[in-house]
Amino acid sequence: MNSSVKFEQINRFEDDLDKCTKCGFCMSYCPVYQEEKVESSVARGKLMMVRALLDGKLTLTDEMAEQLNKCTLCMTCVQNCPASTQLPAVVTAARADKVKHKGLRFPYNFIYRWLLPRRRLFGYAVRIVSWFQGIFMPKTQGTIRHLSMFLSALGKGRHIPQIAPKFLRQLIPEVNKPPEGVKTTCTVGYFTGCMTDFVFPETGKKIVNFLTKNGVEVIVPRGQGCCGAPVFLGAGDFDTGRKMADSNVRAFRDVDYIITDCATCASAMKDYVKYLADTPEKIREYTEYSEKIKDITEFLVDNLNLPPSAYKVAEEFNGKKVTWHEPCHLGRYLGVKEQPRKILKSLPDIEYIEMPDADRCCGMAGTFSVNFYDLSQKIADKKTDSIDSTRADIVVTDCPGCQIQLIDGITRKQMPQKVLHIMDLFE
Amino acid sequence: MITKKDVDQLRNITGKENVLTTVEEMVAYSYDATNWSHMPEAVVFPTDAEQISGILRYANDNEIPVTPRGGGTNVSGGSIPIKGGIVLCTTRMNKIVDINKNNLNAMVEPGVVLQDFQAALAKEGLFFPPDPQSFAGCTMGGVVAENSGGPSCLKYGVTKQYVLGLEVVLADGRIVKLGGLTPKNRTGYELMMLFTGSEGTLGIISKITLRLLPKTTANKTIVAVFGDVAEAGETVSAIIAGSVLPSKVEFVDNWTFDKFRGLLPDKILDNSQVILLIQVDGLPETVAAETEEILEVCKSSARDVRVAEDPAEAEKYWQARTAHFSDISSRTHTIVNEDVSVPRDRIADFIRISQESAKKYDVPISFAGHVGDGNFHPVVLSDNRDKEHFERALKCVDEIIETAISLGGVLSGEHGIGLEKQRFLKKAMDPVAIDIMKQIKGLLDPKHILNPGKIWEESPNE
Repeated sequence: MNSSVKFEQINRFEDDLDKCTKCGFCMSYCPVYQEEKVESSVARGKLMMVRALLDGKLTLTDEMAEQLNKCTLCMTCVQNCPASTQLPAVVTAARADKVKHKGLRFPYNFIYRWLLPRRRLFGYAVRIVSWFQGIFMPKTQGTIRHLSMFLSALGKGRHIPQIAPKFLRQLIPEVNKPPEGVKTTCTVGYFTGCMTDFVFPETGKKIVNFLTKNGVEVIVPRGQGCCGAPVFLGAGDFDTGRKMADSNVRAFRDVDYIITDCATCASAMKDYVKYLADTPEKIREYTEYSEKIKDITEFLVDNLNLPPSAYKVAEEFNGKKVTWHEPCHLGRYLGVKEQPRKILKSLPDIEYIEMPDADRCCGMAGTFSVNFYDLSQKIADKKTDSIDSTRADIVVTDCPGCQIQLIDGITRKQMPQKVLHIMDLFE
Repeated sequence: MITKKDVDQLRNITGKENVLTTVEEMVAYSYDATNWSHMPEAVVFPTDAEQISGILRYANDNEIPVTPRGGGTNVSGGSIPIKGGIVLCTTRMNKIVDINKNNLNAMVEPGVVLQDFQAALAKEGLFFPPDPQSFAGCTMGGVVAENSGGPSCLKYGVTKQYVLGLEVVLADGRIVKLGGLTPKNRTGYELMMLFTGSEGTLGIISKITLRLLPKTTANKTIVAVFGDVAEAGETVSAIIAGSVLPSKVEFVDNWTFDKFRGLLPDKILDNSQVILLIQVDGLPETVAAETEEILEVCKSSARDVRVAEDPAEAEKYWQARTAHFSDISSRTHTIVNEDVSVPRDRIADFIRISQESAKKYDVPISFAGHVGDGNFHPVVLSDNRDKEHFERALKCVDEIIETAISLGGVLSGEHGIGLEKQRFLKKAMDPVAIDIMKQIKGLLDPKHILNPGKIWEESPNE
C-alpha cells in the first residue's frame, strides 16, 4: 500500500504523530477517557491507531471512523502534553482522508454538501423543522445549532431551545450605524453564525446595539454563511468546507475586523488556513481573513478598551450571582481567557463567582454530541456539578453551542440556573 | 488463538460491554510507554475479584496468555501482551474502598489512578509517598506490581515499604488474602512481598491495603545550578553526608534547560551543565532550618542557588523536571531510556564514564534522575529506522549498564525488567536467584499464562 498517496491529509501532520511518546499523561485530562476508561478514546490511543493506519495495519473501516469521531477536539490533551502533540490536527486530518476515500453517508452528505452551504434554503429548512419541534421533543427557551444535530437529536430526549420566530437577518439591517450624537470610531463586520441567526437572534441584536452605542459601525454582510465547523472539522469534508470558507472570505473582504459571538465559529474560521488552504493564493487569503477575526469580548477589552461605565447590566440581572463557562474554542483555541473575566469582574451590579474547572469541556462538540449523546451527557454532568457548586443564578458563556449543551444539562438535572451569552447581560 | 467461543465465555464472565475485540481497539492496547508493541486478541475489563478469578480459571484451563494492565504507563514493556491472548485491564476497578485516618491506612482497587488517590488523601491530610513520574496515568495495581519509586523515595522509601496487605487472584483462579491492616505483622512468610514487584507474572492484584503518613505541613524547593557534573555529584554526596535528609534531590542536565528558561537567568543557564532540584519538607520551623543548611552546602560550588518563593514557583520547577522524559523523547524518533542505580558516592564517576561511552559510540546522551538515591535515567537519543545508529546506541547503553554494575549499582532502580531489560538480567543477578524466581513462577503459574515472556529471556525449551 502506498500510504503517501492514500492519506494525503494525515501525512501533512505526520510529525505530530511521531511526537507522542505514549507517556499517557493525556489519560488524566481527556474528558472522553475520564468517562470511558478505554485507551481508544484518549489521545495516545487515537494517535497509535492513526499510526497503524499509515503503517497498513489498520484500514479506514466504520469502526475506525467511530473511534476518530469520539473526540471533542477540546485541546485539553494538547495543553497538557509534555511533547505538545497536536491530536486535534491528526484527528481532523484522518476524518478528511476518510471522507475522501469513503464519502459521507446520508443524511450527512445531503446536509453538509447541499443544505448548509445554502444559507437561505437552510433557513427555510430550519423553519419547517421548527414547526414539528414541539411534537418530537421537550422544549426549552433558545434554539438549535445545526440542522443535522436537530434532526439527529430527535427522539433522544434532548432539551433543545426553540427556533426563533424571526431570524436575526430578518431583524437587523445590513448596515448599522451608531445613533445620532455618537461618533463613529471604526467599522466592523459581524459574523453571526447559524446559531445566533436562527436560535438566539436577541443576542445578536444586543451585540449590534452594544457596539453601535459605543461608536462602532456594524456591517452584517448578507453573503455570509455557516463557518463550516461541522463540515470540515466535524465531518472531515474539506472540499465543501473550502467552498464555505471562500464565500465567507468574499462576504467580509471590505472590513478590518470580523466580530464573532461564537468561539467555535471564530476558531474554525481561523483554522481555514491550517486545513483548507491548498494553494499559495488561498494561504494568503485565509491568513488575512483569520487575522481580522476577533471574539466579541476580546474586541471590547483589547481593541475598544472600554471604560467600566460602558458595561450596563440589564435591570433584570441586577444583584444576581453569575458564573462563567469558558468554551474550549475560546480559551484553548483562541487564547481568550482573561478578557471575559475582566468584563465580568468589573460589573458592580452582579456578583461574579468563578466555577471550579471553568475551562473543562462541556461535551457538546457539535456532531460529537449527536453521535455519542449519552457520552456527551456524562461529560456535561461534570460541568453542571461545577455550576451547581457555585450556587450561581446565571451561567454565561461565549459560544451558542455550549449554551445549548448547558441548557440541556441544567434542564435534565432540574437546576435553577439561567444560561446566557455573556453579551445578553447588558442593556 | 482466541476463538469466538473464548470471547463468548469472557463476555459471560464480565458482561458484553467489558470485552473488546475489534482490531482498532487491539491496536490501542498494543503498547505502553516503551517502543515495544504487540497486539492482544481480546481486552477484558473485570469489575471485581470474582470476575478476575473467572477469567484466569478459563484462561488457565485453555492455556491462553493473560497480560495484566492498568494505565499502561510503564517504561519496561511490562504491560505489552507479547504473546497475544488476553489483556486484563483493571481501569474499571477504580474505587477507593476506604481511607482510615485513625489507622493511617487505605484500601484501594487496582485501577485507581495514583494522582486521584493522592488527591483524595490530601483532603484528609494524608500522604502516600511513592511518586513515579507517570502519576497522572499510572494505576495502583501497577504501582505495587512494579514496586514503583519516584523522587520522594529518597526520604520515604519505595512502594514495598507501604504495602500492608494484598488480595491476589492466582493463575488457577484462587483468590488469596495476604498481610493485613497493621503496620506490624510477623505471621509466616512475607508473601505479599512476593507479589509486590512481581510485574504481573505471579498473580493479579485485586485489592491493596497501604500504610499512609500524615501529610507534611510545609516544604521548600531549592534550585542549584552547576557548571559541571562533578561539582553537582560532589554536592549531592555532601548533602547526603550532612545532617539533613531532603525529601527529593533531582538532577537534570542541560538538555532540559529550555524548560527552565524564564525561570532562571539565561546567562547562567547558557554556561551551565546541571540543575539540582532539592526539596525539604516537614514542620515549618524545621523546613526553614533545613533549607538554610542545604543552601550552605550548595553555595560552595553552585553558580546559582535560589529558593522558590512560593508553591506556584516551586511547581514550575517540578513541572520542568517532570517534562524531561517527554521532552527528550519528542526530540528524536527513538530513545533508549535506562534506569540504573549506583551508590551515591559514585554518581560523578558514573556520569563521567557514561559520557565517555557516549562519545566513543558517537550518540547523544542526556541524564536525569533521582540522584539523591543514586537512581539515574540516562537517555540515549537515536532513531531505530537508522539501523547502524540504533546499534551504536544499544552498545552504548550496554556499556553504561556494565559501568553501573561495576560501580556496585543495579540494573533497574524502579522501572522493573519487563521486556526492556531482560537481556541484561543474567549479568546483573545471581544465577541461583534467577533459578529460585523460576521455581516460584512454576509453583504459582505452572502453565505460564500470566504475563508470559517477561523478566527472564526464555531458553529454547521453555
